[in-house]
Amino acid sequence: MVDIRRISTNRWWNKKNNWCLFIFLSFLFFVRITKGSLYKDFYYLISKPFWPGQFQREVLTKSVEQEFLIRLKQLEKDNKRLRKILSLQRLSDSDSISAIVISRKTGSFWRQIILNKGVKDGVEIGSFVVGPGGLLGRVVNTSLFTSTVKLLTSPESKVGVWVERIQMHGLLVGLGNDYPKVIFYNKDIDIKVGDFVLSSPASTLLPPNIPIGIVQSVDEDLKAKKTANILLLGKPQAIDWVQIIKVEI
Amino acid sequence: MGNYFKKKISYISFLFIPIVYLWDPNWLEFLGVQPYWPLFWLLPWSMIYGSLDGLIIGLFLGLILDSLSLESSFTQIPGLVLCGIWFGKLRISNNIFVGHFRFGLICSIASFFCGLLYFFHILIKYWSDHTNFLYLPSIKNIFAQVFITGLLAPLLCSLLFRLFQKSKGRDKLINFINK
Repeated sequence: MVDIRRISTNRWWNKKNNWCLFIFLSFLFFVRITKGSLYKDFYYLISKPFWPGQFQREVLTKSVEQEFLIRLKQLEKDNKRLRKILSLQRLSDSDSISAIVISRKTGSFWRQIILNKGVKDGVEIGSFVVGPGGLLGRVVNTSLFTSTVKLLTSPESKVGVWVERIQMHGLLVGLGNDYPKVIFYNKDIDIKVGDFVLSSPASTLLPPNIPIGIVQSVDEDLKAKKTANILLLGKPQAIDWVQIIKVEI
Repeated sequence: MGNYFKKKISYISFLFIPIVYLWDPNWLEFLGVQPYWPLFWLLPWSMIYGSLDGLIIGLFLGLILDSLSLESSFTQIPGLVLCGIWFGKLRISNNIFVGHFRFGLICSIASFFCGLLYFFHILIKYWSDHTNFLYLPSIKNIFAQVFITGLLAPLLCSLLFRLFQKSKGRDKLINFINK
């Protein structure tokens, strides 16, 4: 009787340690099968309060911006060097002149602004004027203390432009209202609303790739031309400070 | 000195037209368009001094304003000269209310006429390019200018008219005493 009881207690399934080992091995097997997903999810939950916050994001954004700035400067340098080699129009290396808008005629048919810098400050006829957003116009008249800028919206303004996405040249024509038009002398181009319009690399009046505006709407085809309304990025009716930049030929 | 200024107020105020033209205050615009400032001065002056003086002063005004605006191909002279002649032929109304209303109406018509002439200049200039149809939306400028010019004319023209009339009267009186 005593022997039978001893034998039954000695069976492996009656031992607690064996069961513990079995459970542990099963757990390991489960982890292996699920490729540690249980661990990963658990880690997700416990690490959540310690994730990189807003501050870290700002640091990263700043670093990225700096990286872009360095790359941009490098590209600009390359661009200048290549343009010099090709003898193309380029921006002046000297600093731009900051000026205040002292008079503006941005309504009606007469569209011009007068700036508080003139011949005395080194402003030359033909220099172009940019404001926050992009190109505003060209200096067409100077006096000792002032310079007059013909805006892109003026009915007499005609500027060569370039749509980067489709790589097509067009002619930006001021119409005496706030929305100049681009005329493309090709009916089959694929211009779309939202396309960026820049100054043309082939222009003899302006340096290339200065932002001008965005295509607001595309008109119906007309004979061999296609026209599009442009929303200018620079708003002369609201800008008080501008930059006058010389063009080197 | 004060008397001299009062006597010559019409000529002195003439010198300020280009300044106001350049100033173009934003708070007086309608749909982004300013009133046609020279008409406010030209109307009372021509009504007092007649058509011939209106023609000459219209020409001078046109020359000055053309030199201030950059559009070398378009001119404001024909519009202002014709307005000067027309204004000189108008009679002064005795009724104050009708007088005010007439100033507004006349300036609106004149503004429309000048705007239209300028617009035709643009159309004719670009006729050969076949791009003249593109300029049609800018006709909005004319109507906005007509409205804002007509709105301000009763106030400004009446004021200037009274000033010019007084200075002319004083001028005549001084001449009569001198004789």
